[in-house]
Amino acid sequence: MAKEEEIRESLTKQFGALEGKIRIQRARRMWAEVEPSDFETVLDYLRKSQGFVILCTMTGLDKGENLGIIYHLAREDGIMLNVEVTVPKTNPVIKTVTAVFPGADHYERELVDLLGFKIEGLAPGFRYPLTDDWPEGQYPLRKDWKLDPSLKTGKIEES
Amino acid sequence: MSLVSKAITWSRIKSPWILHFNTGACNACDIEILAALTPRFDLERFGILLRSTPRHADVLVCSGPVTRQARERLIRIYEQLPEPKFVVSVGSCSCSGGVFNGCYNMMGGVNEVIPVSAFIPGCPARPEALIDGVVKLLGSLQATK
Amino acid sequence: MGKVFIPIGPQHPALKEPASFRILLEGEKVIEANVRLGYNHRGVEKACEERSYLQDMYLLERVCGICSHSHSTCFIQAVEEVAGLEIPPRANYIRTVVAELERIHSHLLWLGVAGHEVGFDSLFMYVWRDREIVMDLLAKISGNRVNYGMNTIGGVRRDISPGLYPEILKAMDVLEERTKYYIQIATGEMSFIKRLSNVGRLSKEDVETMCIVGPTGRASGVPRDVRRDDPYAAYGDLSFKVITDDHCDVYGRAVVRVLELMEAYSMVRQLIKNMPEGPIVVKAPRKIPAGEAVSRYEAPRGEDVHYVRSNGTEKPERVKVRAPTLANLQAMKKMLENYYLADIPIVIAAIDPCFSCTDRTIEVNRLEKGTTELMSWDALRAYSIDWYARQGIQLKGIRL
Repeated sequence: MAKEEEIRESLTKQFGALEGKIRIQRARRMWAEVEPSDFETVLDYLRKSQGFVILCTMTGLDKGENLGIIYHLAREDGIMLNVEVTVPKTNPVIKTVTAVFPGADHYERELVDLLGFKIEGLAPGFRYPLTDDWPEGQYPLRKDWKLDPSLKTGKIEES
Repeated sequence: MSLVSKAITWSRIKSPWILHFNTGACNACDIEILAALTPRFDLERFGILLRSTPRHADVLVCSGPVTRQARERLIRIYEQLPEPKFVVSVGSCSCSGGVFNGCYNMMGGVNEVIPVSAFIPGCPARPEALIDGVVKLLGSLQATK
Repeated sequence: MGKVFIPIGPQHPALKEPASFRILLEGEKVIEANVRLGYNHRGVEKACEERSYLQDMYLLERVCGICSHSHSTCFIQAVEEVAGLEIPPRANYIRTVVAELERIHSHLLWLGVAGHEVGFDSLFMYVWRDREIVMDLLAKISGNRVNYGMNTIGGVRRDISPGLYPEILKAMDVLEERTKYYIQIATGEMSFIKRLSNVGRLSKEDVETMCIVGPTGRASGVPRDVRRDDPYAAYGDLSFKVITDDHCDVYGRAVVRVLELMEAYSMVRQLIKNMPEGPIVVKAPRKIPAGEAVSRYEAPRGEDVHYVRSNGTEKPERVKVRAPTLANLQAMKKMLENYYLADIPIVIAAIDPCFSCTDRTIEVNRLEKGTTELMSWDALRAYSIDWYARQGIQLKGIRL
């Protein structure tokens, strides 16, 4: 746990706002909550000075009034830091990380399709994973979303 | 039945050519279909050949529950198969939706979209079950000859 | 030369999974490749929120039929971390035995498919015949060839009886000998090597920037393996090597996978020899206390990540699954561009795509007078085999 403690100390020293927001759950698992406005600088510091060069994935959450994203970052020695960012549902805008993590392309598209995020800077391209004819404004992973029966369609009759 | 149509039916029963299409499956049934073509189970001794295009095939072998995205393609492929055509749905998912029944991107089993001639259940359907199902289908073709 | 658009539809008999890649060609060279997935999207994450934890385990097993144990174990580990359960050592060993057997069957499957994609059908038939040995073993241990259902919250459901140990060890011996023969072929057959070399190159920097996982990344000399970096189950007790290779191309990926097979045989032997006695399961509560956990697992294709958040009820609040192939998708674009149309089947097969894990289809566009052609995967494979035959590289006639 020594390494995890060290990482926590450096982070709180660098960013005072993170005081008390970093939790060590067990060996190699750390959790942190970061404000959306600070996220870019924190990510930069983590990547360049703390060795968190692997982005495992991004998870979108529906927290009722807000939407959350967790960035799962990891180091080569196996330590993971899961950074949670919360934005209001009325204005779910975040900036893309594809400039530093090109592999995040599909993760971000998934957030746009399934939870209704708006991601600034995401390059135009095919949507993923929903179909081209999926209706606007329907975000399946939101808690209050119910499947509209009209989305199911009929069959070819026996000839 | 005239001699020509008898000959055609006989050749269809003796050597049905199949086309395999995965409409959103987890792959287990597809790998079992492939395994059925390998030396241990060997479907080819029944004259069954795996073809690449719908226009050459007699039987459409489907696996997986039908997703919204795959639905249009499935219908198009079904229409491209020349008559008479048969559809075999392999695995619990293509029979009824399987574990994914009720999920928002699912249409249900393959028979929600196209008419099916034979159902082979299992999760995944074992190669032996596949052989059994195929032989039964051939038997029923024989009966209606 | 002009450019032409050829869409290769989602129906391809060889690859078994629908996905749509749109490829822009100029003459024979690929200029741009775009991936359109979504054919396999089944809404599993939403379905998980409506089912209990144990039901979710069975559902997640069926996310992918080839790495079903990976998904189920990864999920269960996250749930057990949230619930604060300590798993008995024997259960961990049994999970690891099944995990390594799954890796063996998956890599053998890949070897056969790779042979099939380059036209080496005899290799395909031979390897899949040997794969049946592992399938039988898995059926004896768990009752099913695929979708084993071994896990439960708190341990495993079935024990491996000591009567099975000699059979498992014997199977490892047989497979090791056969794999040595395949290594001979892979390193000796010039035409096979020529088909796979210098195709689908990914440099070390590419792997690190794009966070590529699994054998695809290890073939470029980047030694990332979750079993060693972030040990789980019984991997902390095992001694094994992380296989890397410096070829950076499809040939390197083949070498990595075959050598991983050899490591897997040795790991299964170690596990069986040191199997601890004791119970195989601890009692687990129905209502999992509130909390969250991330679990990582080295599936045959790479790193599998599951995130579970619970809210104190019987059903999870959020389950997120990130399968390995999704992480390698950006790499696919990079690997296809600036190579020939004839290389596409083997390059795509080399990352060992499991689109159902990811949910994941190829449309080739030749920009020549703006015409559009429809090419099925099988036709593309036949085209590539033919193209290489004209260059003098013919694999059909190789006798094993």
